[in-house]
Amino acid sequence: MPTLEGGLRIDTENFNDWGILRSIVVDANDATTHDLASRMGALLSEEAGGEDWQEYIVPDLREGFHDELAQVGAAIESAIHIADSGPGPIWINRDEVFPWYSALNQARLALEERYHFGPAETISLEGNDPVRRSAFMRSKFYCAIQCLLLDHVMGPSKAPQQNP
Amino acid sequence: MSDTDTLIQTEEVTSLDVPWNVVVNDDPVNLMGYVTLVLTKVFGYDEKKASILMIQVHRQGRSIVWTGEREKAEFYVQQLQGHQLKTTLEKSQ
Repeated sequence: MPTLEGGLRIDTENFNDWGILRSIVVDANDATTHDLASRMGALLSEEAGGEDWQEYIVPDLREGFHDELAQVGAAIESAIHIADSGPGPIWINRDEVFPWYSALNQARLALEERYHFGPAETISLEGNDPVRRSAFMRSKFYCAIQCLLLDHVMGPSKAPQQNP
Repeated sequence: MSDTDTLIQTEEVTSLDVPWNVVVNDDPVNLMGYVTLVLTKVFGYDEKKASILMIQVHRQGRSIVWTGEREKAEFYVQQLQGHQLKTTLEKSQ
């Protein structure tokens, strides 16, 4: 739900909802795939200096991605603590929106790397593998939050106009 | 003065640096609105130009979003990869 301050509020209804939010960090840190920074580094050819990129730039990227996940993870744990693991809200303020978007994106990129869902219009869940289905639903949930962030929080002039 | 002197000649050769392209590639995860937002944020492009480049990424699979000197191109690639866009660096032809 958009807030008057130009942020977003997510209301959880029970402990399971907190578990889904916690899964953002778990999915993003999926150990079965190469980490995102390494995958980014691998995009550069030898001619473009790929070896140096791996040595000098990838560690910085990795640290940046890690910091964003840590910030979001801490915000979620803090909200769970305040709600005493029961129903409760979590706020995404405008000044925290990029780490949140990044964490959700890291989770979706990791799920895509592992399950290869492909473009939204061609997604198929053939085989009814429950693990894959669950991953797909999480990816859709993360994407829905990202759309809300893009529509209501990110970018200029998203905060309600104040009366003069 | 000795019988043999050494003549040292220096020759300066100046060549223009080859420009480098910053290329954003399509992927099934990054949302179109986000790609546009990142291009405005990193390059300072207006929304119209950023949207045109984003559509190129979406429809053609890739778009050259900036061309210029190598050092600056590397900086932009790092910025775009930091925003998780699938970005590469290539010599301009």
